[in-house]
Amino acid sequence: MTRKMIIDTDTASDDAVAILMALQTPEIDVIGITIVAGNMPVAQASINARYTVEICGKQTPVYDGIDAPLTREIYRAYFFHGPDGMGNMNYPAPKLQPQPKHGVQALIDLIRENPGVELVTLGPLTNVAAAVVQAPDIVANVSRCVVMGGAACTVGNITPAAEYNIWCDPEAARVVFRSGLPIEMAGWETCRGEANLTEDEMHYCKDVINTPLAHFAIDCNASALAANRDWLGDPGLGLPDPVAMAIAIDPTICTRKSKHYVEVECDGTYTRGMTVVDQLNVAPYDTANVAMWAPLVAKGEPHITVCWEIDAKRWKELLYKTISA
Amino acid sequence: MARKIIIDTDPGVDDTMAIFFALKSPELDVIGLTTIFGNVHTALASTNAVRLMEIADRREIPVASGVADPLTRAFGGPVPYVHGEDGQGNLFLPPPQGQPIDQSAADFIIEQVMRHPGEITLVPVGPLTNIALALRLEPRIAENVREVVLMGGNAIVPGNASPAAEANIRNDPEAADLVFGAPWQVTMVGLDVTHKVNMKRKHLEHYSTINSPLAQHIARIVPHYRDFFERTYEVDGIFVHDSSAIAYVIDPSLFKTEHWPIRVETEGLSRGKTWPNLGDRLRPEWENRPRVNVCVEVDSQRLIDLEMARMEA
Repeated sequence: MTRKMIIDTDTASDDAVAILMALQTPEIDVIGITIVAGNMPVAQASINARYTVEICGKQTPVYDGIDAPLTREIYRAYFFHGPDGMGNMNYPAPKLQPQPKHGVQALIDLIRENPGVELVTLGPLTNVAAAVVQAPDIVANVSRCVVMGGAACTVGNITPAAEYNIWCDPEAARVVFRSGLPIEMAGWETCRGEANLTEDEMHYCKDVINTPLAHFAIDCNASALAANRDWLGDPGLGLPDPVAMAIAIDPTICTRKSKHYVEVECDGTYTRGMTVVDQLNVAPYDTANVAMWAPLVAKGEPHITVCWEIDAKRWKELLYKTISA
Repeated sequence: MARKIIIDTDPGVDDTMAIFFALKSPELDVIGLTTIFGNVHTALASTNAVRLMEIADRREIPVASGVADPLTRAFGGPVPYVHGEDGQGNLFLPPPQGQPIDQSAADFIIEQVMRHPGEITLVPVGPLTNIALALRLEPRIAENVREVVLMGGNAIVPGNASPAAEANIRNDPEAADLVFGAPWQVTMVGLDVTHKVNMKRKHLEHYSTINSPLAQHIARIVPHYRDFFERTYEVDGIFVHDSSAIAYVIDPSLFKTEHWPIRVETEGLSRGKTWPNLGDRLRPEWENRPRVNVCVEVDSQRLIDLEMARMEA
């Protein structure tokens, strides 16, 4: 039986690979892609998403969403993905047009019409927040909400404390984390270390797999590869969105996970956008915490699944499989 | 031609007075009500708004429910000691027959503004969450509204919800900062003027003598509200908050205004304080912000006369 999935994305190069993986997985039916502002303006992210849909030979509807964080000014990390978000490969304009319906309305309608749908978010959580505040009933219809975002008890990337997607719109992230959605948080650290594609593995994709999709997956990440090396000092290519998508497609790729209360810092001077994981489960029990954590604790038992470790070999195998067609 | 307005409201006793004032004013065409938390929770605001349209026998006016919490935090809670547990002076009326429409407040605002470019005046008299959300969902509403006339804020006078801040703005300062910063014409009808419009007991008691279901309803809900003002501010009667925004839309000559960019404090003790940058030397945080039309003086007597005359008509 196919599983229905909605992808919310600020499509740049690693989002594109994640979208590709979902579209190339036969048991997944991507019923809609909604676009949000993040590393790219919505207009460019929409082009990137539609181009990705086209090279997969699909007609998946793409809906343009909110082009700014809920309350803040946008900050774009152009240096990471390049001005077009796709490594400046000069890909042609897609023929596929965006749908007339707004991305937030599309999220609401698609979730209402498809109980049990899985939601995968690859960008800031602005669209999802706007959807759940206007239509809280949709929360009950989402069977999984895999979030590429945050940094669980580790360093951030855009700041020492925070990962970009959450940092970009922390208020939206807070709304979503408090909404009761069954979040599976794939923080950016899950794509580091062994999860990076090495030079050899990138050559394997292009020279051995050697399909148009394999070339696309590596080439469009040229800017990200350089940024990973020059800025983060990480060897190889980190692919946060595809790792999150791999976990979404095959939950067993996440090999260690546990449920916690997770809050998002909105006010901190140095810690804006930090995902604060209550790893020791102190939030409900100590007067130092009770008032602060009440909005989450009131929802019941800890319900946000934090992914701590992945099987790097199997994530890469899934990537290879999806770009082999 | 009557001016199309959408009132975004958390009714609320003074909201009720403002809505009925608008319905009785031939200059205005109330094309819809959108609801918000504030004086009451959003769900109750919607129930009350629908009931008010039934009391006024204006069931054709749609009510669209808004969001239940501020953009970034949980709602701090209603103020039953001001407006009553039911937001209607503790009358506890039976539920209305009708229902809100099946469209969110933000979507209703967007649809109406985009359908009638240059025609719609938004009159928010509660926290600005729906308006900010509509702006984020469809930024083009900024160039397609006629103007925004809001009740809220305090430019150069103290607050009421806190020493620093006015209640509507304090309930969602982040949303307010967006609304004051968007490229549209905003008029701020805040405590600078509303605390100068004092409707006295003799005016309030006059409502009960007017033979209309609208005035009769106001007469029934107002005592609880009046008692709050008389207890808290040691005044005779009430200050006219939300109706002052309606009065501005009908007759701006009632007010003297200044043109200042406004920022809203979102943190600390002063959360919700609206800060104008007076004069022409703008600090960086105020640069590149539109100048808000800030009401600073009001012809109080003429405003009260206008509202009373409309309710008698």
